[in-house]
Amino acid sequence: MTAELLLSEDQRDALQEVTNIAMGQAGARLAQILDTFVHLSVPRINITGSAQITQAIEHMVGSGASITAIRQSFGGTLHGEAMVVYDELGCRNLADLMGYEDDMGQAQERELLLDVGNVLVGACLNGVADLLNATLSFSAPTLIAENAGVDRLINTQQLTWNYALLVEVRFTLEIRDFTCHLLTLMPEESIIQLKNALDTFMDNL
Amino acid sequence: MARKMLIKALPASWNVEITQASNGREAVAAYHAGKADVMFLDLTMPEMDGYAVLETLQHEGLDSFVIVVSADIQPLARERVRALGAAAFIKKPVDAVQIERVLREYGIEL
Repeated sequence: MTAELLLSEDQRDALQEVTNIAMGQAGARLAQILDTFVHLSVPRINITGSAQITQAIEHMVGSGASITAIRQSFGGTLHGEAMVVYDELGCRNLADLMGYEDDMGQAQERELLLDVGNVLVGACLNGVADLLNATLSFSAPTLIAENAGVDRLINTQQLTWNYALLVEVRFTLEIRDFTCHLLTLMPEESIIQLKNALDTFMDNL
Repeated sequence: MARKMLIKALPASWNVEITQASNGREAVAAYHAGKADVMFLDLTMPEMDGYAVLETLQHEGLDSFVIVVSADIQPLARERVRALGAAAFIKKPVDAVQIERVLREYGIEL
């Protein structure tokens, strides 16, 4: 990875705080949907090259984990794709929380995952965009993996972006653990734009 | 960064010595060292979060004016910190006008 793509310590710190503020919005929305208190964690930020992305995601969710994921592309000042990755337990707990019984239909479960993912992506990325004076628009979310291995998530041969900004956000619910991970994948020029936006943000402090 | 944003939003005329802590443990240590007549406390922190800091302070008889500054906008978060003895809650991103209003409201001399 070229040095100009790496986040400086200040940039990472700024992005972490900007993400933290955005997660507050996301967490509040999630709390409303699930009708429970949501504990927010300190977001972890990392940039990785596309070749290492599968490894990086495995590191987040555990290797050999079976995951379900949604994606949503975004455009505007920055462009790329956002993904929300749920682990198996996360999916089941989410369904339980919504009061669905074991016989919850697959269609219902998918809809739930799409809705929750959409809320998290929108709140997080819009929050970041607002603070950085950027504007974003989003496509509708789609399900890209269902109870699949992490290696199925990303086909490195077909990548249109070279780098991934990994934002690891963990939500813990009062009643039970529900962990999901939010990832943003962006091409090089968007990462550079993001870095510039972070510098401007810090200069204005 | 969170601290830098907050410090910038403090009233310029406020004549105080500022001690910074990068997690809850450091905040409690600063409190024990008598450095916290007023404490601006984040909730989402590594090591020890803001709730745990409030619990510790409350347990020890809370001799500080704690203003929680958080991105957590759940109504329940606000209620909980109030119950744990926080005097006020300010949501992030912080706004200088709001900070000054809270400080004046509690009769803190600026």
